[in-house]
Amino acid sequence: MPRDAVIVDDHSGFRDQARKLFERMGFRVVGEAATGSEALGEVRRLRPDVVLLDIQLPDIDGISVAASIAAEGPSPAIVLVSARDPLDYGSRLTSCGAVGFIAKADLTADSLMALLRP
Amino acid sequence: MTTLLRRATQAGVPLAVALVWIADWAGGWAPDLAETLGYIVPGSAFVIAGLVAWSLRPRNRVGRLMMAVGAGMLVGGASLQKFTTPVEGAIFHALTAGQCVSPGTCRMLDFPSAALFLSFGQIWAVLLLHLLLAFPEGRVRVRPGRMLLVALYILVPLARFVWLVAPLRPVSTAYAVVTGETVYLACLVFGSVLILRRWAVGGYARRRSLSPVLWSLAPVVLAFVPWTAVTLSQAQVGPTLRGFGLLFLTALPVGFVVGMLRSGLDLVPIGSLVVKLSRGLLPEQLRPALAEVLHDPSLEVAYWVPTMNSFADLEGQALELPPPDSERAASILDGETGPVAALVYDSSLLLEPDLVDAAAAAARMALENARLQVQLRAQLEEVRQSRARLVEAGQQERQRVERDLHDGAQQQLVTLLLSLQHTKAEANRRSDLDTAALLDSNIASLKQALSELRELARGIYPSILTEAGLVPALRSLAERSPIPLEVSDGIGERRLTAQLEATLYFVATEAITNAVKHSEGRRICVSLVRNHETVVLDVSDDGQGGAAVGVGTGLRGLADRVAAAGGRLRVESDRRGTTIHCEIPCGS
Repeated sequence: MPRDAVIVDDHSGFRDQARKLFERMGFRVVGEAATGSEALGEVRRLRPDVVLLDIQLPDIDGISVAASIAAEGPSPAIVLVSARDPLDYGSRLTSCGAVGFIAKADLTADSLMALLRP
Repeated sequence: MTTLLRRATQAGVPLAVALVWIADWAGGWAPDLAETLGYIVPGSAFVIAGLVAWSLRPRNRVGRLMMAVGAGMLVGGASLQKFTTPVEGAIFHALTAGQCVSPGTCRMLDFPSAALFLSFGQIWAVLLLHLLLAFPEGRVRVRPGRMLLVALYILVPLARFVWLVAPLRPVSTAYAVVTGETVYLACLVFGSVLILRRWAVGGYARRRSLSPVLWSLAPVVLAFVPWTAVTLSQAQVGPTLRGFGLLFLTALPVGFVVGMLRSGLDLVPIGSLVVKLSRGLLPEQLRPALAEVLHDPSLEVAYWVPTMNSFADLEGQALELPPPDSERAASILDGETGPVAALVYDSSLLLEPDLVDAAAAAARMALENARLQVQLRAQLEEVRQSRARLVEAGQQERQRVERDLHDGAQQQLVTLLLSLQHTKAEANRRSDLDTAALLDSNIASLKQALSELRELARGIYPSILTEAGLVPALRSLAERSPIPLEVSDGIGERRLTAQLEATLYFVATEAITNAVKHSEGRRICVSLVRNHETVVLDVSDDGQGGAAVGVGTGLRGLADRVAAAGGRLRVESDRRGTTIHCEIPCGS
């Protein structure tokens, strides 16, 4: 079971709630980022096991961030999230290197565990 | 006063020319008769031809310029040892009070007024260049040409003056010969090239007046090239070359006078224009008819459009009138309430103001009608652009609302949902099952609200359209469609403009919604094809038909939206099904 997580979202309220969720699940949240470029820096620096990555970020979109992280070698498990529907992103979701997508409204311990289970 | 001066000059100049000839006949100060004739024969011809041109066109400067060229030749261009005309010698001796026989025998620094006079000995060549540049309008219309002339009027006498008063003058005699001959030849050749170019780019009227000048100029240039070569080699110009050079230079002013006479166009074609107009000319036929009458194929007609506050062509596109002093000129035709139209033509037609005025007057009614048509076209174009802007603004507003919903309400509700889920987990941990059940109910309601909000946002503007483009957006529609929906992609991965993608997407969604609601069909096909300059979208179903643009507001609104993008929408509907066919230009 992975232990360290980084949460990437430009809304601090969402990051707070996601942190509580991860901690309740037994994860250690080692870093947070509000933009795509911050996320790339934090992932390189902290080398987490899991990245919870919002797609709508103010600078680089989350799908491109996921692709960049995946291209850099052994990658953490990236879980993409968005308030939008997965159909809004088409096939880009499946080809970016992320382990899966969860709509923010469906983000629960169970949905996360389903994606992170080895 | 001007007329009096002109008449006095016209009487006095022949007298002055006669006096030059008498002075020469009497021996004068010129030792070389052949040299003297080389100046005073063509000089006299220029003066007399200039008088004729001045009488023909008193307001045109060409005549006076020709006289100036002739006067410059009559005064001549002295070398060190000899004067070319007796007038030159007489004036020189008067200015030196008889103390100096020729410029080569005394120190010219002691006689500055005589040196200054001799400095202008070559000015006739610059005047000839001026004449060539100004013919036939009498004005040099191009700024670089005017600047060149000003420079030459200053530099040529200045260079000669410096040579005349230089302390080591005998050493620089070759310099004087070289520079003198070079000035003559350069002015002649440069003027010929410019006049040939103006002939090549000019309209009929310009060519008609320039042709005689070109014909008379060509032999002069041909004779001057060997003449200059012989002079530069310090040899004597032979009698044959001298004779032909003299003959050609004397014939040159005749070319100018003939050119001026030929610049007069007759008014006869105006009659044929009036006949054509009486039979009724379409606005498109008006320009060729006027161009034919004015012998200017380059003629343009510009119509005044008050709403644009400018002139425009027949298509309603704005047209700038030519600036003053250019190779093009314009005549503005005024009506009772302001300008009606403008004729833009070759500036050589400025010599024929009566002809232009007569043609414009004959065509006034037709020009007024054409102007109204142009104004209407310009207004229609403005309406079309305004409609396109409204649609684009609407789409941008939809995008903004969708983004606001996503960034604002949706994010707040998602955060609240996660908070409730966390609280529920806490309640479960404390075995507070009543609270957990209550929270569960609230969580379910909130998820329902979020789902509805997401659908609403997608309906306003689907983010996949911005993110991934039209084809993925259509495929996303297919995944949610309750009836099997097939997307046939003929445009590949190349993106269209955002406005075009949005228009096509909303046409497709409306057509699919109609098919789902009303067609009772079993399948829907969406096909997208890109031709050379258009994108074609077809949405077909195999239902019962019955759709028409006039029925309901949905298809009407779609047709308006497509028209705003410059395209067209067609609905084909019968018992075998319905096809919505949409074509929109997309550029190449």
